[in-house]
Amino acid sequence: MKQQNVLEISGLDVSLPTGDRILSGVDLAIGGGRILGVIGESGAGKSMIGACIADTLPDALAVSAGSIEFDGLPLGSMTRATRRDLLGRDIGFIPQEPMTALNPALTIGQQFGSHLARIGFRWPKERKERTIQLLEDVHLPRSRELLSHYPHQLSGGMLQRVLIAMAFASNPKLVVADEPTTALDVTIQARVAELIARMVETHGASVLFITHDLCLAADLCDEVAVLYAGRIVESGAAETIIGSPAHPYSRCLSLATPTLSGPPRPLLTLPGTMPSALERSVMAGCELAPRCPVAEMRCHTDKPLLASTTTGHRSACHFPERVSAIQAPAEEPQAAAREPGPDVVLRAEGLAKTYIARDWIGRMRRVEALRGLDFEVREGEFVGVVGESGSGKSTLTKLILGLEDVTTGRLDAAGFAGSDRSAATLRALRAQVQLVFQDPQSALNPRRSIGSLVTQSLEVRAERPSRAARSAIARDLLAKVLLPPDVIDRFPDQLSGGQKQRVNIARALCSNPRLLVADEIVSGLDVSVQAQILELLKALREEAAISLLLISHDLAVVRHICDRTVVMFRGEIVEQGPVEEVFGNPRHDYTRALVAAAQGGTSLRKTMSQSQ
Amino acid sequence: MHGFARYADIRLILSGGAVSAILLMALLAPWIAPHEPNDQDLLSILMPPVFAGGSAEHLLGTDSLGRDILSRLIHGARTAMTVAIFASCGAMLLGSVLACIAGYFGGRIDWAISRMVEIWLSFPPVVLSMLLIVGLGIGTDKVILAIILVDWTRFCRVLRTEVQVTRRQDYVAYARLAGFSHGRIILREVLPGVLPMIVTLFSLQMGISVVVEAILSFVSMGVPADVPAWGQMIADARIDIYSAPWGLALPILMIFVTVLSFNALGDSLNRVLDPRSSARRPV
Amino acid sequence: MPVFAVVSMLVFLALRVLPVDPAQMSLPPSATIEQVEAKRIEMGLTKPVWEQYAVWLGSAVRGDFGESAQYRMPTSTLVLQRLPATIELATCALAFAIVFGVAMGLLIFAARGTVLASAGMVVTSVIMALPDFLLALLFILLLGVLMPLFPVNGRLAPGLSVPDLTGFLLVDTLAAGEPRLFLNALSHMALPVLALGLAFSPAIIRVLHSSLVATYQQSYIRQARLRGLSDRSILFGQALKNAILPVVVLVGTQFGGLFGGTLLVELIFSYPGLGNLMLRAMQTVDLNVIMAVALIYCATTLIFNSLADAGVYLLNPRLRS
Repeated sequence: MKQQNVLEISGLDVSLPTGDRILSGVDLAIGGGRILGVIGESGAGKSMIGACIADTLPDALAVSAGSIEFDGLPLGSMTRATRRDLLGRDIGFIPQEPMTALNPALTIGQQFGSHLARIGFRWPKERKERTIQLLEDVHLPRSRELLSHYPHQLSGGMLQRVLIAMAFASNPKLVVADEPTTALDVTIQARVAELIARMVETHGASVLFITHDLCLAADLCDEVAVLYAGRIVESGAAETIIGSPAHPYSRCLSLATPTLSGPPRPLLTLPGTMPSALERSVMAGCELAPRCPVAEMRCHTDKPLLASTTTGHRSACHFPERVSAIQAPAEEPQAAAREPGPDVVLRAEGLAKTYIARDWIGRMRRVEALRGLDFEVREGEFVGVVGESGSGKSTLTKLILGLEDVTTGRLDAAGFAGSDRSAATLRALRAQVQLVFQDPQSALNPRRSIGSLVTQSLEVRAERPSRAARSAIARDLLAKVLLPPDVIDRFPDQLSGGQKQRVNIARALCSNPRLLVADEIVSGLDVSVQAQILELLKALREEAAISLLLISHDLAVVRHICDRTVVMFRGEIVEQGPVEEVFGNPRHDYTRALVAAAQGGTSLRKTMSQSQ
Repeated sequence: MHGFARYADIRLILSGGAVSAILLMALLAPWIAPHEPNDQDLLSILMPPVFAGGSAEHLLGTDSLGRDILSRLIHGARTAMTVAIFASCGAMLLGSVLACIAGYFGGRIDWAISRMVEIWLSFPPVVLSMLLIVGLGIGTDKVILAIILVDWTRFCRVLRTEVQVTRRQDYVAYARLAGFSHGRIILREVLPGVLPMIVTLFSLQMGISVVVEAILSFVSMGVPADVPAWGQMIADARIDIYSAPWGLALPILMIFVTVLSFNALGDSLNRVLDPRSSARRPV
Repeated sequence: MPVFAVVSMLVFLALRVLPVDPAQMSLPPSATIEQVEAKRIEMGLTKPVWEQYAVWLGSAVRGDFGESAQYRMPTSTLVLQRLPATIELATCALAFAIVFGVAMGLLIFAARGTVLASAGMVVTSVIMALPDFLLALLFILLLGVLMPLFPVNGRLAPGLSVPDLTGFLLVDTLAAGEPRLFLNALSHMALPVLALGLAFSPAIIRVLHSSLVATYQQSYIRQARLRGLSDRSILFGQALKNAILPVVVLVGTQFGGLFGGTLLVELIFSYPGLGNLMLRAMQTVDLNVIMAVALIYCATTLIFNSLADAGVYLLNPRLRS
């Protein structure tokens, strides 16, 4: 019963004017009512596929070969106007960042109304009723009131619901969703993914689901295509690709992703980075070969083509049978049994912080950012602080670093009481307790060289080391974070995101601190880069005997590298203990919700099978 | 992309060349001017330029007192550039220092400086500079002082916002945590980031200073009467507009070319130096 | 308002420290030292400056700005006579600048990537290098002298007169039912308005253009395109409402530049407005007039600042909630 595919992409090439290819030979097909996931890390070219369908490629790029057929019609032979006319009518789009995807100067009602007017609702009254109904369909409460709201008055999750409602308003045949959950809070992510799945069922649309998230794709999609360096390396049914991949890259990706279930294991790290479009042009063999754990001579000289391994499953690898042999490195036995030292590096007792806020008529209002925190971090111990935005995580960081006064309670960091805030104490404290900033882009002055960045804190020492000594220290620190010594004279803009984060960590190590406070340091990174950084932190624990307070929204990351976790909710600690205990058997409702959201998939499948 | 970069470079070279030519003319005025700018030749007044039927003795003609227009234009450039350089430097220093203080420290001091800028801006700049001249008296130094006192707000307003943006970067927070003093952070971390903007504003301010000097000389509130200035030449030539239009057109042309060159230099410097504007290239 | 109070104080203090003696100036040159001394006491000049300011402020709030030393008549009468002409000039110039600037900005943006857009940008840079008083002189040279199409002196041809109702000539001539006079007044205003308006427009063009470029990089514009909206409805329905905000701010903050420009343009066109009054007062150090006119300039600028703030507030929903 082979029916026509809604979208069929074959041999698609997207090239720069120089001839270097961003996408090469991409084949994709989506059947009616199916969800196809395209998985890839940043730079793989996955967003370009959506741009090709919408005819919104950046000016410098062009489709240089191949065809896209939508509903049996070749898009390439249509006029621009015809193609534009398909958008919003037959093809809907769900954007990555809902917070910026709606016009801040127009109300929800106005924007929804103009969309409905375009797809053929002629009367304002009709449009209004339809809008309200569509908003109710995506479970937005009080949808009538929402019409007069502006986007900034809604949360990210609500905005994404509005955008999903808009995308499905015209009963499109195809919906392109480009990382629709990435910018949202964890607990919201699962619900939005679930909503998309439900909308697909009710509207019978097909979905091209672009994501970097392996687990999400496994849960939501029927078929999956894995994109690496502009080429599809594997495609087939979602369960098969996640469960028994036939391409080393897919296998490595899933081994590099920390999980919340199953036995804890070290992550597999892929060396190096994905080659850029220019680098690919001169590669004769497989693009993955330089990083691949099972590559041999032939892989470097001979490009493997996408070929069937089993029915409906295709892989672009010379040796698909070797893939299952790829394993994560074994846990070093002494690391597993390692106990934290006896010294307490950070201790909070009844710690509370209250801000006094004044509203516009000068009334005072007390905002309790933190209430009654009790926890400690011991020497060599890694502790993960988990919570969503607004849970008080950043206030805690400020208190630990002595940037703000403690309101009540005690806070001892590296032997310095939080109440003593003289300049000398603070300086000594901050040599012992170092903050690793979340965003290396912002944390590294673009006008300083890497060498001067990592030794920046030495510049204020009374006995300032000589230039040669500083250069030696810099080289030493860069070696600790596994960066080649020649980056010392480069500038941040010349490094990749992962390399910048390494510099950021190296800089924090400069003063030989006892405690690192790391604020969401892997949240913006790709899976393979994240694995590299996490394994680096683990290695540093063995080598430098530092403690780590890792603030993260990602439970799997915390489970992977931390010994204990502290779960925060609205300024309070609701649960703390060893990671396996807390995440394996959560006792507080909020922890349970977090764990459920992070495991997303299982619950998602359940709702879907129930609705069937 | 490539072509665009080259286009910006050509503009930079052209405007830079024009600016250097004007500066050179100003520097070498006493040597390259064919006549003394104030020498009167009452026998040959209001002569047209050589291409409009005049003599080679006065290439660009003479004014109503028989003074050589070419020489007066060249010496006028000297006056204009002297005023512009000193005034722009002064305004830049005053404005940038206050902007760094206000933008970096924020709070009360920011409030105070911002209110001061607001008060300043409530005056039309032309009116304020004239009022200052009424108070200070006439003279080249007074003109410079007046321009500084009027135009520092231009630097302060724009740079304060830039400094605030840089201030919010994590690398400034890091420097603070690492124990850097405020002064050191401003010099080492903040200032390099806003330097391209300062350079751009300075170039634009050069053009503005030339205009203000011309305006003040035009209403005889600028440099003393015996110092040749373009604005003064315009005011003199206005009376004879029907009989000798060239006398009016030439100094206007000089001001126009000077301001255009400095504006274009500022624009292309902004494009070349500012990483954000090169990233924001039209697509 | 507090700004205005501070400004009036500063101007008053600045003018009082001048090395000129208002008492001496208000008497004929033949006056004896004793007479001047008596006059000084009469005028309150021997009192401390703060007291003088209080006295001045007290009468100023009642509309009494003292007597002009040169014209020997109340400053307020002088100012009120001249004010309408300047307001008329500035308003027309501003309207022209906004209409021309916004139209050009939209045109250059809509034609982006073409030769037309580059040409438009070059023209903008050229006008930008011509301040209002040079434009005024150029227009006189080209359209008044070489090709005499427009009158270049005053507000009306010599010999014509209009009953004085509001002081705004365009209004008065229409009210008097005299289309011929209206056209005459209009032709007199053409060049000064053009000079002022044109000089102000490049700033509007550039700000609108770069603000449109920035707006088009926002993801809601991309999303609107992905919903299939036409280019026209994206520009006018989605982008313009956001992109116009910096233009409103610009008009508010830079209006002082245009208003100050009337000073020279009025001088060049012998236009009987505040500017000419101010220039004459500054040349003769007529302190009361300088003070009053300076405050009017300042007040007008502040009013425009507040209007722009109100405009931004109305256009930006994020400020409203």
